[in-house]
Amino acid sequence: MMIIKTTRFGEIEIDENRAIHFSEGLIGFPEDKDYVVMEHKPGSPFMWLQSLTSPGLAFVIMNPFQVYPDYLKEIPSEEADMMKPGKDENVMIFVIVTIPGGKSEQSTVNLMGPVVIAPDEKVGRQVILANSGYNHRYPLSMNKNK
Amino acid sequence: MLVLTRKTDESITIGNQVTISVLEIKGNQVKLGIKAPKDIPINRTELFEKIMSENIKASQAPDDLDLCLEFMDEEEGK
Repeated sequence: MMIIKTTRFGEIEIDENRAIHFSEGLIGFPEDKDYVVMEHKPGSPFMWLQSLTSPGLAFVIMNPFQVYPDYLKEIPSEEADMMKPGKDENVMIFVIVTIPGGKSEQSTVNLMGPVVIAPDEKVGRQVILANSGYNHRYPLSMNKNK
Repeated sequence: MLVLTRKTDESITIGNQVTISVLEIKGNQVKLGIKAPKDIPINRTELFEKIMSENIKASQAPDDLDLCLEFMDEEEGK
C-alpha cells in the first residue's frame, strides 16, 4: 500500500498495483505520468482519474457507453489500433467529463479524446480520434432525453 | 526553432525512429509522410491543442463537485 496526497480527498491509501502509467502523460499534462482510477461513490457513473504526483490534479471520468451507446462502433482501423495502449487485448475506455463551474447542467464529455487503459499491463494513454467525427464537447445532459 | 529547407521527396529524421518526408508541394499545401513507431502519437497540432485546452478545463472541476454530481446522477438515472 502507498499513501498519496490529494487536495480533494486528503491523504488516501492505495494499492501500488492500481497505479496506471501514462508514458506520455495526458495531453497538456506531460509531467504527470502516473494516475489511479477511483470510484466517486458507490452507484455513481462517475470516477476520478487522480494524479499520483500532483495532489491537485484529478479528472472526472466515466464510461462513454453510458452516454453514447454506439461509441467506437465505426472507427477507422488505425484509430482502433491506437485504442490499445499495450499488448493487452483487454482495455478499459473512459472519457473525461468537463464540468463548468456553477453550470453543471452544461457538462460535456470529451468523446474525441478518450482515455484508454490496459488494466493488466497497467498502462494508459489519451488518444485523439481525429477521423471519427466525435465531439470533444458532447453534452452529457442529452442522455436524459433518451 | 530549428528551420530546415527541404524539397519534394527529401526528408528529415528525428531521433532514431522518426522520419518525415515531403511528398508533394501544391500551392500553399504540403503533403507530408511520417514514419514513426506505433506508440508515438502523431496529430494535427490544432486538434492536439483543442484536446489540451479541454483537458485543462476539465482539470478544474468545481469545488462543489459533489452537488454537481448529484444533479447529474439524477439525470443519469432517468
